[in-house]
Parts: sequence; C-alpha cells; structure tokens
Amino acid sequence: METDELISVLARTSAPVQPLPSPWLRAMVWLALSLVYAALVTLMMGVRPDLLAMVGDSRFDIEQGAALATGVAAAVAAFAATIPGYDRRVLLAPVPPLTLWLGSLGQGCLSAWMTQGAAGLELRSDWLCLPAMIAAGAVPAIAIVLMLRRGAPLLPHTTVALAGLAAAGIGNFALRFFHAEDASIMVLVWQFGTVVLLTGVSAALGRRVLCWRTMPLDRARGD
Amino acid sequence: MSDQVTDEQLARFMAAAQSGAGDAYAALLKAILPRLRAMIRNRRRFLSEADIEDLVQDTLVSLHSVRATYDPSRPFWPWLFAIARNRLADGARRHARRSANEVSVPEYPVTFSAEEANWDAEGYGDPEILREAIDRLPAAQRQAVDLLKIKELSLREASVESGMSVGALKVSMHRAMTTLKKALRKS
Repeated sequence: METDELISVLARTSAPVQPLPSPWLRAMVWLALSLVYAALVTLMMGVRPDLLAMVGDSRFDIEQGAALATGVAAAVAAFAATIPGYDRRVLLAPVPPLTLWLGSLGQGCLSAWMTQGAAGLELRSDWLCLPAMIAAGAVPAIAIVLMLRRGAPLLPHTTVALAGLAAAGIGNFALRFFHAEDASIMVLVWQFGTVVLLTGVSAALGRRVLCWRTMPLDRARGD
Repeated sequence: MSDQVTDEQLARFMAAAQSGAGDAYAALLKAILPRLRAMIRNRRRFLSEADIEDLVQDTLVSLHSVRATYDPSRPFWPWLFAIARNRLADGARRHARRSANEVSVPEYPVTFSAEEANWDAEGYGDPEILREAIDRLPAAQRQAVDLLKIKELSLREASVESGMSVGALKVSMHRAMTTLKKALRKS
C-alpha cells in the first residue's frame, strides 16, 4: 500500500476519540475506585480490633501513608508512561514514598533488635499475606490495566511494573486495616516482599498486557 | 509543506481529528509526512527507501491507534517523535530477533557444474554435430529417430509410416540413442 493511500484509509476510518485526561486526573479516578474497593475488602475481612490504637501509632501512620503515596505515585507514573512525549522523570515519582516506606520498616527492625535482641527479628510464617494482598489489590490492578490500555505502550515492562506497584501499594494499605501483623521484620519480609514480588511479576508480564494494537489495514481498505 | 505548518496549526488539526474530522486528519498526516520521513531516514541511513517507507507507515498506523493520547495543549512534534522513536526501536528489536532465529544458507545452484551430471539436462549440445551423428546412423535407426523424435509421431503412426513393427521401432530407437550419446560424448 502506498503511503498516500494509507493516509486516506486512516482519515476515512477515523472515528471520534475522547482525548485522555491528564495522568494526575486519571490516577485520582483510579485511586477513588481503589479506595472504595479497599474499604469493601476491609469490611468483608473484618476490621482489626486494635485499629483505633494503631491509628494513633506514628510508625503505623507513616507506613500506611507511605504505602498509599507509593500506590498513587506509581499510578501517576504508569499513566504518564503511556503518554508519548511526557517527561520521563515522572517515572521516578514512586521512589521517595517507597524510600520512606522501606526506611520506616528498616528503622522498625533496627529498634526491635536494639530493644529485644534477636527475638525482635524473629521471622514466622505468614502465608496469608500473599493471597490477602492479591485479593485487596485485584480490582485496583484490573482497573489500572484497563485504563493503561487506552494509552500508548511505549514502555510496557516499566508501565506494567508501576501498575503492579500501584495495585500492591493499595493492597498493602488495605491489608493492614484487617490483618493484625505489625512486627517490622514481618511486615518487611511478608508484606513488602509481596509488593516486590507482585511488581516483579507485573514487569515480566509487560508486553503481554500492553502492546501496540494497530488497526488491521487490509480490513480497513476492503471496507 | 511541513515548514509552513506551525505547531499550533498541527495541534488544531489533531484536535479536529480527535473529534472525527477526516479532512483535518488527512491534512495533518500529509503535512507531517516529509519531516517524519526525514527523521526516520536520518536515524536509519542504512535502510532502503522501501524499508524507510514501511517504518513511516508503521509510525502513522501507531499514531492512529493512540491518537487519544494527544493533548492539544501540548506541543505536537515531541508527541509524534516519541511514537516514531518507539516504533523504530521496536522495529530494530524485531529485526534482531528475526536474524537471531534465522540460519543463513548459501544459495546453491540448481544444477551442478560437473559436466557428466549436466549431459542429459543440457540437450544435445552443438546441433551440427548431432545432425552429422544422426546421418551416420544405420538406416533403420536413422528412420526411427526421424519419425519419433524429429517428426514427433507416435509409435503406432511411425509403424504405419515405416512399415516396421512397434517393437522393432523401439529397439531401433533405443540403439540410436545409445549410439548418439556415444558419438556426442566423443565429440
């Protein structure tokens, strides 16, 4: 097909499209949906009995704030990654909250070790974490993928990894409202570990989730 | 044309294209074509014109599939070039993957250069030598060649024509071929 012919086919078959809102706005829409779902999951699983006491705990508040901020920043970065020509520095947006989150957990581990010795770093099995976080992050994950597929798959692996991080961040945020496990080492290994695992799996799925879906030209031409 | 069209005009065309205006869309795509082609040619100097045009078309089709991502308040060219760079990188990746899975086989000639292998396939060589060899054949063999090969009659027709039996014709023909092969090989 000649390029001029291609242009006339594209012009002839172009249906009106709704321009995508800004990545920030899209991230806020996604966040609202995800928080409603997180609240439903928390209510279904049963709010932890000591929640009121925990809300007054500054470490809990910092870690929850950092998890939520990581989710939001990762979502903004993922949406921005699908806009051609957008400043790529936005991809680093989740780094500060992620550092704060990890720093708080590390500091928690350190103080547990200093006050309780080796017993403060005792690692027990907590396999519930993985399915619980997947359940809490499932709808945010599906929603963000559907929204991302309206964009351009410029960096599929990075974009889907950021989407996984966003969903896992929200999943962890919800998890700690119904799962009473606050020992820093346990949160670090089982919960933060699950976030890292889900982000890694998402990155690997990149091209399967996001790919160029170009119009079948032959069909367009033979209209 | 692209030099005369400003970024603001392209942004307006693109906004119109997003709302379904086919004419504005066609005008936009035609306006960006020279600069897009130049950009791709500049980055892929080693490619043929046909391959460059394939990449141009690939970029146009990709632009089409993500036209909703354009924000008319942002400059047009960085948006388009980001798509083009991405398609060029994907094209290079596809090419590398294809070459990694391909085994390069040298092209073998259909026939072999050794003379004995080509003797039958190459016909009778010099027609003058063949004619002389036929003239030297015994009369029955010469007649069989004349009727069956030169006049291309069937065995039955040749039998009627010559008065020889079909079996005798076959034998004469076989002997004639053997004699001719020998004669031509010698020459």
